[in-house]
Amino acid sequence: MIASQKPRRFLDTRVLSRLASIPLFSRRPMQGNVSGKHMSPHRGSSVEFAEYRKYVPGDDPRRMDWRAFGRTEKYFVKEFEADTNLRCCLVVDTSGSMDFGSGETTKLEYARKLAGTIGYLAVAQGDAVGLSCVAEGVVRSLPPRRNPSHLRTLFDLLEGAQATGPTQLIPTLHELAETIRQRALIVLVSDLFVPPDELHDCFQHLLFRKHDLAVFHLYDPLELSFDLRRPTRFVDMEGGASIFVEPTEIADRYHRALEEYRNKLRSAVLEAGVDYHEVSLEDDYEQVLTRFLVGRTRGKGAS
Amino acid sequence: MSFLQPLMLAALPAIALPILIHLINQRRYQTLPWGAMQFLLAAQRMSRGYTRIRQWLILACRTLALAGLIVAAARPLAGGFLGLAGGSRPDTTIVLIDRSPSMSQVNGGTLSKREAGQRQVVETLRKLGSEHWVLIESNRSTPRELNSIDELLKLPEMGPSSAAANFPRMLDAAASYLENNQTGRTEVWICSDLRANDWDARNAQWKQCRDRFAAFPGSLRFHICAFRDPAPENLAVRVTEVERVRGPDGAELAVSLQIERDATSDQPLRLPLQFEIAGARSQTEIELADRQFELRGHRIPLDSTMERGWGRVSIPADANAADNEFFFAFDQPRTRRAVLILEDAETSAALRLAAQIPPSATVECEAEVWQPHQVEAANWEEAALVLWQAPLPEGRAAELLKSLVERGGQVLFFPPHVPASTSFLDVAWGQWQEPDHPAVPTHWTLDQDLLANSLGGTSLPVGELQALRYCPPQGELTQLATLDGGMPLVARQATPNGGVYFVSTGPASTDSNLAANGVVLYVAVQRALATGAAALGKTRQITAGMGQEPVELAGAQQLAGSEDAVSADYFFHAGVYQRDERQWAVNCAEDEGQADILSDEEVHGLFEGLDVSILAGEASGGSSLVREIWRACMLGMIVALLAEAVLCVPRAAKPQDEKNSVFRQRQERQAVLREMQTTA
Repeated sequence: MIASQKPRRFLDTRVLSRLASIPLFSRRPMQGNVSGKHMSPHRGSSVEFAEYRKYVPGDDPRRMDWRAFGRTEKYFVKEFEADTNLRCCLVVDTSGSMDFGSGETTKLEYARKLAGTIGYLAVAQGDAVGLSCVAEGVVRSLPPRRNPSHLRTLFDLLEGAQATGPTQLIPTLHELAETIRQRALIVLVSDLFVPPDELHDCFQHLLFRKHDLAVFHLYDPLELSFDLRRPTRFVDMEGGASIFVEPTEIADRYHRALEEYRNKLRSAVLEAGVDYHEVSLEDDYEQVLTRFLVGRTRGKGAS
Repeated sequence: MSFLQPLMLAALPAIALPILIHLINQRRYQTLPWGAMQFLLAAQRMSRGYTRIRQWLILACRTLALAGLIVAAARPLAGGFLGLAGGSRPDTTIVLIDRSPSMSQVNGGTLSKREAGQRQVVETLRKLGSEHWVLIESNRSTPRELNSIDELLKLPEMGPSSAAANFPRMLDAAASYLENNQTGRTEVWICSDLRANDWDARNAQWKQCRDRFAAFPGSLRFHICAFRDPAPENLAVRVTEVERVRGPDGAELAVSLQIERDATSDQPLRLPLQFEIAGARSQTEIELADRQFELRGHRIPLDSTMERGWGRVSIPADANAADNEFFFAFDQPRTRRAVLILEDAETSAALRLAAQIPPSATVECEAEVWQPHQVEAANWEEAALVLWQAPLPEGRAAELLKSLVERGGQVLFFPPHVPASTSFLDVAWGQWQEPDHPAVPTHWTLDQDLLANSLGGTSLPVGELQALRYCPPQGELTQLATLDGGMPLVARQATPNGGVYFVSTGPASTDSNLAANGVVLYVAVQRALATGAAALGKTRQITAGMGQEPVELAGAQQLAGSEDAVSADYFFHAGVYQRDERQWAVNCAEDEGQADILSDEEVHGLFEGLDVSILAGEASGGSSLVREIWRACMLGMIVALLAEAVLCVPRAAKPQDEKNSVFRQRQERQAVLREMQTTA
């Protein structure tokens, strides 16, 4: 199913066809408005048994379990799980730092691939997909819809996203936690250059709202290795002051700061049970998504 | 520090290369848009202490390494005294060697200070590459050009000596040599123990030397190799008086001596004293309770037929062997004859009494009085003292007096009634002056000459003298006593031999109370008489190197003393020498036993305005005063390079860890994919 005939740079049909065989599951009960592949917090008419309940007047007598009545001479109603669709909210960081890329691709490009592919897969299995581009705030937003024509709008939005401005990810995530209806799958694609402690509060807020949160944390290989030899003037991509340093001089301290940040972030995502994926731009995004989807089929996150 | 290849130092600016490269590298910076600024900011905040100065340390190490390489190539010499300027070889090197007895001191090793100093100077000059050497040794103070620097070690004149060094005279000789020769770049090396008596800092000749050196047009530098180590527990013996006397059992020799102890402790010390009289030895033991010991009138029996002879006193060997023995010669006491040339009868009585009354029963004194016109009638051959109270002599009379003085005789001049314009030895009488109040002496010389204190330390009552009128002598004189107002009471004219004194007032009651006081006049006359008699006797005590060298001494026979002394240098070597019936006992100077040493400040004061450096010589070694230290420079360079390498090592291998971490994650993902495919 291709929502638009217009070719998208961030979509690869071969990847889409390969990933289409792996369903996108939520890790928590979702609250959809139509039947789907996901667990619902309510009882329904699927084939999967849920529980027995005492009959009360008003219940449909056709749902009474007569065999149970034969054994116990009491009226029980047999209940089954309900399957519903989910609302997948794609949150893509479009702050200035997402324009960074030491190789062929930038973080924003990589984020487009991830978000576009996940959006396509979700719509393909009948789920609703929305998109929020965040930077200093929610720059652009598209509410979740499940009809295939909605995909075109979403892809257009993705394609038109520009990495600019400072990051205000923390207040923006708090805002999204409040504005998105409960029990949605929220997929955050960002470089997360914010304090891990504050990020931890955001995760807890989203979980409190019963959202299923997945995070793709994008790193550029150069940011990890910091393999620079010449004296360099680092220009802040989000408008801050420039810094002139000798990279070889501060490399050890840079790595120490980076490692400290990553440790704190890992603690935060573990405590919040976030489906966390640390992604290097060198990684093949198909493999990243495969790992993401397979992890969900096994009923747990990949972190 | 000096350098054998100073031209290599021209490359020293190259040590700035690391800094230049660093600055150029800083200019080659790149601009990079960067997202992960928070880590950079955190890294900068972590830059504290060592991490901040690490870059500068690396630069310093690189600079030091280059400096070490360049300095090593310049072949530096260490010694701490050569200064930075003297990089090239000197054209002329003048070596001043102190051969005084104190330089024979041995501290610890087998070499004396003099030998160690000579070797060190030779090694140093050989290393410095000097090509023209001039030697001035302390005995003769005459410049001598050397063919090879090794001659410093081989010349017989470089051996030990008993004569004190006279550095003003030696430096004066050096200055004269500089003025008379084209010496070019010159270095003066002085090897000495800086004894105050040898350097004679109060000598007026120092200023003249300084001025002459300062006027030297070329480069001139002084290097003093100082051997200051004191002689531990050194003892010095000195005979103060020897007298042949008649005792109850026959002839005896009365010997008085002093022993000085240069000790750090005042513990009593028992010391054997050995006497040798004409080959016969005797020994006595004394106890030193203080730093100075005086033995008076020690009687040694003599053969009654021995009227004249010699002897020596020795003490056990110690650090300085030069002052461990003292030679003396004795003779039958001869009559002390004084000639009085007087124009005044009242004066005649007082002076005749002062000259006639013997100081002891063993001494005979005679005095003959003559009028000025009867001068030639006096017994000049046997006169030891002349008391002259008349116009200064002229013609034949002056010749007779000068001859007496040259032989060692003494002359005391008193002012005539009417001073004439005549002069003697460039001294003439001024005019009589009658002050309102009697002039009294304000100060006088206490330690030597006619008015010195007694052996017991009691000063003469010179202060009780009163001059009702005085007639000051005109000329360059050394004042022994000065009246208030600065006029001399007693003054001495410097002469190589003998003594010429001028007393500015007469013994007459109208002139002064010299006669009434009596004591001062008697002591002064008797001291002059004794000195003159000793000089004119057949035996004579001589201080090595001091005064006029007796002409007969050069061809004399050595009776005792150092075997290394050559006959031409007997005057400078302690011993007993005989020629015909005369005997000379030569000993080192009395003040040679004093341990006063000049400080660095005092030495710099003597060489004020000149380029001088002082090096502490090692009395126990003979190695060079300078050493090539290029190895140390190379070692420093290696250390600097190693330090730089250590500083450049990355502090942590985080990037590799990161790569490993990413690699591990990929491995895990591939494993998941394989599992998924298997399941499908």
